[in-house]
Amino acid sequence: MNMNRETDRPPVQNSTMSLAKPAMRGLLGKRLRFHLPIAFALSLVAAAAFKYGVTEPRKQAYADFYKQYDTTKEFNNMRDAGVFESVRPTGE
Amino acid sequence: MTHASVFRGNHKCTTMRTPLASRCYSHAKVETDEEFDARWVTYFSKPDIDAWELKKGMNTLIGYDLVPEPKILDSALRACRRLNDLASAIRILEAVKDKSGPHKDIYPYLIQELQPTLIELGISTPEDLGMDKL
Repeated sequence: MNMNRETDRPPVQNSTMSLAKPAMRGLLGKRLRFHLPIAFALSLVAAAAFKYGVTEPRKQAYADFYKQYDTTKEFNNMRDAGVFESVRPTGE
Repeated sequence: MTHASVFRGNHKCTTMRTPLASRCYSHAKVETDEEFDARWVTYFSKPDIDAWELKKGMNTLIGYDLVPEPKILDSALRACRRLNDLASAIRILEAVKDKSGPHKDIYPYLIQELQPTLIELGISTPEDLGMDKL
């Protein structure tokens, strides 16, 4: 009576008529032990790729835009375009 | 029945071949595969098993991370015979085929091992009845 699952199957098939006993226990556990670390790693890679491919460039683009931003000049442009209610364009 | 054995297959140890009911931190006695099989053969061998116990037993058994051994299935099929339940007998065969998942070598092996029982009890396989096709 074997206590070790390693010897579940005989080393060779008996004949073409008789099938060897396949592994029948712990199949899901084996699959998960293999796939879950890969899934976890791929998720981390996906998150890192999104962070460094999308969010960081986006943040940098905003930073670059506002580094050279002249608030007074832009305010006057907006004022002259007539979009404000509190101040009229210069010259009116 | 030990608590650990109910959650068969849910072990946290990462060693390759621990018996299924082992946890790294539990002091519960580990049940071997043979003890597990014997317990289930005994369960289905009860002479006056009722329909509920048959269904409950099969549902519990199918919940484990294993395909039942031929001797357990033999015991379950004989219980179906005692209950005059051919439908459940065929359903058990369908269930173990489904339980094998992508491992297509398990079901033919089980049918091979159960052939004497199937002939003795007059149970047709789903394939015989054309029930395996959609």
